[in-house]
Amino acid sequence: MLKGIGSLMIIISTSLLGILISSKYNIRLKEIRKLRFSLQMLETEIVYSSTPIPYACYNVGLKSDNIWKKFFMTVSENLTERKFYSMEEAWEQAIVSNLKDSSLKDIDKELLRSFGKILGKSDIEDQKKHFKLFYTQLEQHEKMAEEEKKNNEKMYKTMGFLLGAAILIILV
Amino acid sequence: MDYKKPLDEIFDFLPPNIKRLLKNNIHLYSISAEEIRLRLNKPLIIIGSDSDYFVDSNGCFIHEIENAYLTTKEDIKNATEIIQNFSAYSFGEELKNGYITIPGGHRIGISGRTIVENGYIKSIKDIAFINYRIAKEIIGAADKAIDYIITPTSSIYNTLIISPPQCGKTTLLRDIVRQLSNGIKSKNIKGFKIGLVDERSEIAACFFGEPRNDVGIRTDVLDACPKSQGIFLLIRSMSPDIIATDEIGKAEDADALMEGANAGVKVIATMHGSDIEDLYKKIELKKLHSNYFERIIVLGRSEGVGTIEKIYDKEGKLLFKYLGQEV
Repeated sequence: MLKGIGSLMIIISTSLLGILISSKYNIRLKEIRKLRFSLQMLETEIVYSSTPIPYACYNVGLKSDNIWKKFFMTVSENLTERKFYSMEEAWEQAIVSNLKDSSLKDIDKELLRSFGKILGKSDIEDQKKHFKLFYTQLEQHEKMAEEEKKNNEKMYKTMGFLLGAAILIILV
Repeated sequence: MDYKKPLDEIFDFLPPNIKRLLKNNIHLYSISAEEIRLRLNKPLIIIGSDSDYFVDSNGCFIHEIENAYLTTKEDIKNATEIIQNFSAYSFGEELKNGYITIPGGHRIGISGRTIVENGYIKSIKDIAFINYRIAKEIIGAADKAIDYIITPTSSIYNTLIISPPQCGKTTLLRDIVRQLSNGIKSKNIKGFKIGLVDERSEIAACFFGEPRNDVGIRTDVLDACPKSQGIFLLIRSMSPDIIATDEIGKAEDADALMEGANAGVKVIATMHGSDIEDLYKKIELKKLHSNYFERIIVLGRSEGVGTIEKIYDKEGKLLFKYLGQEV
């Protein structure tokens, strides 16, 4: 009886471990998708109402959630409170302080970082082009994330279960 | 007269190094600073009401160039980003004119390399020269002028204020508007409804629609609107007794002002120039030459900024000349 409960617990915990690891891939995909929504809102603010970046980021922050809420609010705060005196630095600091616990990969952050260098620096037509380019690049990342999710999610889940099973076989 | 406006709003738009030098710097107030000038790799210069100063690295105001703080490339870069509010796209139109108005009505002028398209300035890039012009709201600046504007029947004359830059045109206009709008009890003048077309956001210094400067209780402000269109709009929509506007000079402005006169509205306007001849020389304002303006006030700096040098009537006859005596 006790043996049964013990082995069940082992199986459950390793399976959960597998699910935990695999969920990272799912979260990354979600974060990328949400970034795209937020940036679409930012584009609207910029292109259709030429709202200056500090206000635009604030508005986007209000409507976004989780990490992107924090991210855009930080950008806005950095600029309006003059914590930084250039867009690039304000953006960079927001990435460093808000995205370290996210599931985004370094290449995702790098893409976002490069976007911060051109955001707000040119006229509306030009900004539109940059947004368009960014969406295309982000789509690539999204596809990669999806691919990885598909491949790895199942693998880690199965591995978690199998690990538990293996421990059991060794122990018993 | 009292200097009401603090300089705090300007500090928010200075690059960090220069802000550090000037913020809470008592000298800035004691010389009653008018301009802060940044030029790439040249000394930072503060222009006071009677002299200009360099600033050393401790924030002291000095006359010797040796220890003067030099404006760095970084300062200019930061200042450029800040004054555009980090958003080049939302300031296209204002960059074309070479200046940006910030909260408080201060104007930041910029100069650099222009981008020209079809013979018109499209934008300015490689900004290397920046001029922070400090707007001063001086309550009571119009005390003297107002007596010449009022007609015996308690109406007002169409008035033009002519002055070179930096002599207090806008300040005078703002205070005239404030006093006429509130009404002056001691002189038995009732308040007028005033439509203020504030194309450069300098007179009322609106921030999200609300005037930051005191322009009176019966004043409607049309902010950031081209003068000629704004005058038509206000006449139709707000039924003003008086239209006030800054810096006329285009042919459309003249058309709009004529239209105003036909509608029975009085006009108070300002113009760049040094004397009444400059009005007659302006071809664009030809329609306004003959007797349109019934009072012409010329400003100068004989006794500091905002000295009223001369006042003419509509025939060009002197009513007042500085020296203290009336003609």
